[in-house]
Amino acid sequence: MSDTTDVAYSGGVPELQDELRDIGYLADRGLATATLLALRLERPILLEGEVGVGKTELAKCLARLEGRELIRLQCYEGIDTHQAIYEWDYARQLLQVRALSEHDLSDATTVGGLYSEEFLLERPLLKAIRAGERAVLLIDEIDRADDEFEAFLLELLSDFQVTVPEVGTIQATGRPIVVLTSNRTRELHDALKRRCLYHWIGYPTVAEEIDIVKVRAPQASEHLAGQVVRAVHRLRELDLIKPPGVAETLDWVDALAILDQTDLDADAARDTLGSVIKDRDDLEVVDRDLDHVLGG
Amino acid sequence: MQDHDDAPVESTTDRLVEFAHALREHGLPVGTDDVLAFCEAAATLGPRDPEDLFWAGRSTLVHRRDHLPVYDEVFRRFFLHLRPPKGPEPVPEQPVPQGTTGVLNVPDNEPGEQTDDEQPLLLGLQASGVEVNRTKRFAECTDAELAAVRRTINRIRLQPPMRRTRRMRTDPTGSRLDVRRMTRNEMRVGDRSPRLPFMDRKQRARPLVLLLDVSGSMSDHSRNLLQFAYSMRRAAQKVEVFCFGTRLTRITKLLDRRHPDAAMRRAAEEVNDWDGGTRIGAALDEFVRTWGRRGISRGAIVVICSDGLDRGNPKQLADAIERLERLSHRIIWVNPLAADTPDGIPNTLAMAIASPHVDRVESAHDLDSLEAFAAGLAHVG
Repeated sequence: MSDTTDVAYSGGVPELQDELRDIGYLADRGLATATLLALRLERPILLEGEVGVGKTELAKCLARLEGRELIRLQCYEGIDTHQAIYEWDYARQLLQVRALSEHDLSDATTVGGLYSEEFLLERPLLKAIRAGERAVLLIDEIDRADDEFEAFLLELLSDFQVTVPEVGTIQATGRPIVVLTSNRTRELHDALKRRCLYHWIGYPTVAEEIDIVKVRAPQASEHLAGQVVRAVHRLRELDLIKPPGVAETLDWVDALAILDQTDLDADAARDTLGSVIKDRDDLEVVDRDLDHVLGG
Repeated sequence: MQDHDDAPVESTTDRLVEFAHALREHGLPVGTDDVLAFCEAAATLGPRDPEDLFWAGRSTLVHRRDHLPVYDEVFRRFFLHLRPPKGPEPVPEQPVPQGTTGVLNVPDNEPGEQTDDEQPLLLGLQASGVEVNRTKRFAECTDAELAAVRRTINRIRLQPPMRRTRRMRTDPTGSRLDVRRMTRNEMRVGDRSPRLPFMDRKQRARPLVLLLDVSGSMSDHSRNLLQFAYSMRRAAQKVEVFCFGTRLTRITKLLDRRHPDAAMRRAAEEVNDWDGGTRIGAALDEFVRTWGRRGISRGAIVVICSDGLDRGNPKQLADAIERLERLSHRIIWVNPLAADTPDGIPNTLAMAIASPHVDRVESAHDLDSLEAFAAGLAHVG
């Protein structure tokens, strides 16, 4: 594994930060270091953090940065190997069997042909293994999958190979960059965490978030960006069920831009509050405290 | 990897390993593979800048958010030689020696009667000299009787409530055709089995969340339920346990100890508001906000054990229980006072507020009704 310098990212932490910034992602020192290590050491990186702080976005940006294909596996309860790795195209196989037997053609070769590439449906994980170092594999919201799937991933992430019984073992030629995200709806198994580098993404500071808005929503004026970000930070201090993330800040700025607002006043805020606050009880709380939120 | 040839590098490695050991001493589970990854990471970044070293360690040696503050603290002390800032020390987790006898500090209902004999109760080991009266109220039991009761609770076999998962398994009486298997059978030349393979959804135990009121008169009842939770957790079921009085404390992790005594003792140490006042509303609110939101009660049976004698804000309770209803599958309220009321719903303000959102109110005030409660859990739906 020592001869990977041509594959791995060659710059240092500041360079990586700059390059990510150029494609619109602002990473702080900690996140940039963890990402750099993931690239250099070829280990998966596990990102945890509040909702909407840019966990998924990092994977997308890494794909762009490294010129790789982004392969995304969205996890959900009950996800299994057929949805995650591969599945045979049963309907077509059955039709083929019927056709073969009607013409009395079913011998060893034609039956063997039923398990050829033609009938194999590739799912994200198999796709990522085949793409190898040309891919960024995003395993999104791993906490939604159940423990059985986690145990399976463990195996996959250590060897980067899968065995399709009828075809044989498929081994990745190089390692894809693997990004896992979790919203911590449940605790992940330690063994899985051990395979990964870990980074917790918190909310950015006011200055950082204004920077993010400037990069991601350049149409907004500096004045508006500052107002919105400070309002969002006050919202996060309120006792809300669902505090707004960075994604909500950007949505809010977008919403205001569409309405041609250049200033965040009480009316404009009330009209567009739905893009930041997504819970009825929270809306009530915010409505009561709107003056304070807007810095009045 | 390039060659490191001289002594300073080796001493750096030593230092890194020592740091990992220091973390271990502070209770972080740092494995040898983590240390290797850390050293590799440090070598990649070049260990010149302490900030690089800080982040390298943070992403390789720490695997949970809760451990981050401990890491930060140990790093400050180890590499920067800084004194800790004011505030609580990171608590090192010390293994509790197992198999010792515990002094179970069962609070008395009448403070005046308290005899201060620190008699060690060998729970679960001692042959019982006490007969368990199955219909005697827990509130009227002596300490020895309570200990006997807990031994009995330990033996209650619980059939956990089940739910259907999204995973499938082969089931001849199932409702869905297993096309995958069918194709495989079909392709096996000569296999013309007339039977179609069917499958159905797997069943899985529902998670159970216990919210135990440990204030004043409720502490005995809560201890019994705690014993109950302990046995269930041993049975590899998903159980989360919280205690509340004036504030909410999660004690799930403490129940992982091998001995009930040790677990109970640790729990008692952790929850320092045994016998304080009760603020159910505030406790439920905190639960909903910090834990419910993260999905701990999703699809779960939530058992609240409290007498509903609340000194908190009724509005807060109403909001919290309404939200809890939406975040969980079923809510069962265990209230020993329910045994005395004809309609089974004690006449307290908190119960009046909560009962529209609660699926069942149980008394569980003696062994018989506790067993009935346990048996009923399987059928809450």
